[in-house]
Amino acid sequence: MTYLKKIERRIKEFPEMPAMCRTLLQSLEDPDVDFKQLEEQIQYDPGLTSNVLRLANSAYFGATGTVTSLRVALMRLGTRRVTEVVTAIMVSPMMLRSLSGYDLRSQNLLQHSVWVAVASEELAKLMGYRDVKMLFTAGLLHDMGKIILDPFVWEQRDSLLDDGLTQSFDEREREHFGMSHAQAGGALLTKWNIPEEITVTAKWHHDPESVTDYAEQVNMVHLADILGYSEGVGAGIDGMKYNVSPVAHKRLGLKKSDIEYVASVTLDKMNELESLLT
Amino acid sequence: MPYRIVDISDYKISKNSGDILVTYSLGSCVGVVIYDPVIRIGGMIHCMLPLSKVDRNKAEQRPAMFVDTGMQLMLNQLFESGVRKSRLKIAVAGGAHILNDDNLFKIGERNFTVLRKILWKNSMLMNVQDVGGSISRTIRLHVGSGRFTVKSQGTEVHYDLPQKD
Repeated sequence: MTYLKKIERRIKEFPEMPAMCRTLLQSLEDPDVDFKQLEEQIQYDPGLTSNVLRLANSAYFGATGTVTSLRVALMRLGTRRVTEVVTAIMVSPMMLRSLSGYDLRSQNLLQHSVWVAVASEELAKLMGYRDVKMLFTAGLLHDMGKIILDPFVWEQRDSLLDDGLTQSFDEREREHFGMSHAQAGGALLTKWNIPEEITVTAKWHHDPESVTDYAEQVNMVHLADILGYSEGVGAGIDGMKYNVSPVAHKRLGLKKSDIEYVASVTLDKMNELESLLT
Repeated sequence: MPYRIVDISDYKISKNSGDILVTYSLGSCVGVVIYDPVIRIGGMIHCMLPLSKVDRNKAEQRPAMFVDTGMQLMLNQLFESGVRKSRLKIAVAGGAHILNDDNLFKIGERNFTVLRKILWKNSMLMNVQDVGGSISRTIRLHVGSGRFTVKSQGTEVHYDLPQKD
């Protein structure tokens, strides 16, 4: 069986997105959705409810004042933010295990993903992009494809790391397997049937110049990702072997000091969220 | 032997001969080890960014995030613990870059440049440097023996921070 077939089968057999998450994400697309409906869906699960409250009270998501009920959380943070919080809580467990192909210890993938989610939002804030839809979630889920590709990366590790190779790691994946982790992630999220801005971002995050839809999300997640690798956050064998798109940062109009500022503010926020999600 | 982990933007100093100081995944960050082989005290720092002027608030909360404020802090503390400049052994690793490093992401190179300037100003020499390239590195210091190791992509290189020159 070719690698491509094996990857497709792994995507097919991979667990579905937790039902609650999908319902919430889909209900966001419905302009008439109201707080009460969301509240009912979430409070049915007491563990989830208490986790939502913990995150709603974090410094990162934190509204002013203590949030003690789901209703207040929904009012203060808004339905979209609460959906992002619920998604983070439900998907994080999938990112905890170690990935030996990529040489990621347990929690490393989650740590990197949280870094990218936070750094993307910090970039957006700094550059004055308001209301980039689902940016946090798009950042958080951008590398789900690594979970799919990991066993194959393990098998082909020596060849993927050949010193003579000059291509970026995602190109090497494409050559070896017919699909990169970005494309595999895009395919998985498409199967999960979640909003397009999230799936498109995952699919194109190493190739932001080729995409016109949701360009802000893709550019910001791309730069946040490269910055995370550069700082060694959750970086495995592939860590430094990526290219940064010169177009992405030109489009955003970033300076060197902007990038460094974003790195400096992201670290502690990442640490806080990571500890709340594990 | 007990590992003592140095997180990103953190530093640790130890005089416990059983300790191994370790820091993981140095990409463009720089890891600096300073060791006095006579009294066997070692320090390790993992700095993310070159200069503290990019975020003064953060530099106050977390001086070890930046090479300039972090090195000053660790050096001061080492000198207070009795290390002597004339005996110091210094090992540096990291400062790597992503593949097509353009101007924007030259963090690794800038980290190393700032570090070199600080050492030079203090008339301190690097005994070991394992920097640059597009690889991530994990470093360890065995406090009791001065053994320093750099691990990258599955291979580990050992250095002994010598007792004498």
